[in-house]
Amino acid sequence: MKKRNYRNPVGVGKYTGLLLITPFIIGFAVFTLYPFAASFALGLTDFDGIRQPRFIGTENFTDMLSSSDFRNAAAVTLKYTFILVPLKLAVSLLAAVLLNAGIRGIGVYRTIFYVPSILGSNLAIVIMWQFLFTSGGLADQLLGLAGLPSVSWYGTGSGAMLIIVLLRLWEFGSAMILFLNALRDIPGEYYDAAKVDGCGRINSFFRITLPLLGRVTFLNLVLQVIAAMQEFSAPYMITGGGPMKGTYTIGMLIYDEMFRYHNAGYANAVSWAFFMLVTGIVLVLFAVTRRRREEFI
Amino acid sequence: MKKHMIYLAALGCITALTACADSSQNVTLPDGKLDKCTLRFSWWGGDDRHEATLAAIKLWEEQHPDITITPEYGGWDGWTEKVSSQISGGTAPDVMQVNYDWLVSLSPDGNGFYDLGLLSDRLDLSGFDEEVLSFGRMNDKLNAVTVSVSGRGLFYNSESYRKFGASYPETWDDLFALGKTMGEKGCYPLDLDIQSGGTAWYLAVVYVQQHTGREFVSMEGELGFTEDDLKMALDFYKKLEDSRVIRTVKERIDEDGSAALYQSPEFISGNVAGALEWGSSVGKYEMVLPAGVLEAGPLLSDADGNTDGWMIKPSVLYAVSKETKYPDEAAAFMDFMLSDPECAKILGTTRGIPVSRRAEEALEAAGLLRGLARDNDEMLSALDVVTISPYMELPRIKEICNSAIEKVSYGKADSSQAAKELYTSAEEYLRKVRK
Repeated sequence: MKKRNYRNPVGVGKYTGLLLITPFIIGFAVFTLYPFAASFALGLTDFDGIRQPRFIGTENFTDMLSSSDFRNAAAVTLKYTFILVPLKLAVSLLAAVLLNAGIRGIGVYRTIFYVPSILGSNLAIVIMWQFLFTSGGLADQLLGLAGLPSVSWYGTGSGAMLIIVLLRLWEFGSAMILFLNALRDIPGEYYDAAKVDGCGRINSFFRITLPLLGRVTFLNLVLQVIAAMQEFSAPYMITGGGPMKGTYTIGMLIYDEMFRYHNAGYANAVSWAFFMLVTGIVLVLFAVTRRRREEFI
Repeated sequence: MKKHMIYLAALGCITALTACADSSQNVTLPDGKLDKCTLRFSWWGGDDRHEATLAAIKLWEEQHPDITITPEYGGWDGWTEKVSSQISGGTAPDVMQVNYDWLVSLSPDGNGFYDLGLLSDRLDLSGFDEEVLSFGRMNDKLNAVTVSVSGRGLFYNSESYRKFGASYPETWDDLFALGKTMGEKGCYPLDLDIQSGGTAWYLAVVYVQQHTGREFVSMEGELGFTEDDLKMALDFYKKLEDSRVIRTVKERIDEDGSAALYQSPEFISGNVAGALEWGSSVGKYEMVLPAGVLEAGPLLSDADGNTDGWMIKPSVLYAVSKETKYPDEAAAFMDFMLSDPECAKILGTTRGIPVSRRAEEALEAAGLLRGLARDNDEMLSALDVVTISPYMELPRIKEICNSAIEKVSYGKADSSQAAKELYTSAEEYLRKVRK
């Protein structure tokens, strides 16, 4: 049989591939790699954003470890992540399962559920949240109708944390889409077979759906943990990090040190420590779920 | 080899960073001509200031069709951060409205802004007192020119006061007594905050300065208050809360969220009937109430009539970016905004009473020197006032003081503990920034 030669439509050359990805490589080097390395270099200086930086070794890192503000911000960030992520995974999974149940006009519902994710925490949302959660607001009125006492949402650390969590929980659209796509890949025969064997819906969910969603659940978990750890805009705009720094996340600390207090060297050191913390948590997640993930493959 | 590459990369980063800082020294010198260009001008403020400034820009563009102005404006919250990042990134607007403390934080050696001494051909400063000009000098370089000198004064909702048959307080004791007349009946006679404005700490400082004769922070950045003075300030604040003169921090956040007082439904409806505000910025409070309802009240004194301790500062200043490519044009525009008689009439007192004699005379002649800013200005002029140190305005100092007040308000620390922490933190920080 005669061997056929295929010609590369863009012209075969040793460096063609490299040439084609050059724009990305340049962009990555300039906008990611360089700032990344520069940030570490700045973390070793007393740079204030204005004057020439002066090398001060690891002083910023030692200051950070002894700073009660940093410890508080780290604790708040972790608490926020541990509250938000499981709730968000549960809500997005529930919404995805409901939407996968052969409802008419699924596209419309999917869009409606996704809209909050697009809105983010912009000014209009902040105003809406104020309308909902300030005393005498809609949330209080609804609690009153149910015969429950009003809640100090903004005025207590736990209340303020809850309104930030609710804002992000409301934005469950992207996690839901991932679940929904994975649900559609589960063959219907599994459920039919389970039904024949007398397995109910709830049992099917726990014995078929949930195990088969293992990989996408893990993906969602990692993505949501990273996003939650980086939280900045919601507490910045809604609570200002208060009260009593109860919603003051590491993202806010970095922003304040960098832009309000002109402490750029320290802010960069915190950014690096934060990067290590997030990386560490993700690695732990990979390690503790390894066996389960291997089972799903 | 790999090790060398790492060293090379690190060296590259540091060289590039140093180059960034070095580029700040390349200043475009004036050439004496007004070329066709577009200038960026930024300011913060309330709607009254925005509307007046946009109208003034329109007048400038009619008079100078070749020089277009791109306005950049917004509210105060987050503005410092925005401009700081622009300045450190080399993308600052050509002409900027700047705050007093920015000179200390953004131009400690006088090289953070354009040296306006080089622009005397276009910038006529003959109508300014030397003392006023000195507010904008850093390291003998004129970095900014003061637009107005202003202090915080007390402004009250006259309708709410009338409803309770109360009169505006004249002494601290009168103020505390209003808690019974009004506060306990659900209408707070005054509001103080621990947001970026930090009016709670401001009033506490006035109180302590009046009683001790010591200044909170000196012009050189030395902490003037003792630990006992700080305790007195915190006790004063707590007494205001306990007497129901003001809302507690918690009540305030629960009712208003993160909204500023002039956006608060409680203030707009008259349930909160007083504000401590700069004469130069009171317009935004005036705008949300029916015309004539907000009135200026007396600056409080002790029982012996001692009115010391009230403060003034340059409310806003104008500066030119050291990165500007159009120093002549920027100086001409700044001169217009500071002293042009027609521009002054448009701007009115939206940035306080102008310190430029030409602008002030224009306002006087047009009968525009009136209103709350003027009332407040006159009251402060009659007192022996303290000039606020720019160090007191530094965001970190404000945060340290606000945090102490918050702890006392929430009962997380008593005033002695909070004063001790405040003293230590403020001393440490001021020592660091004075370097």
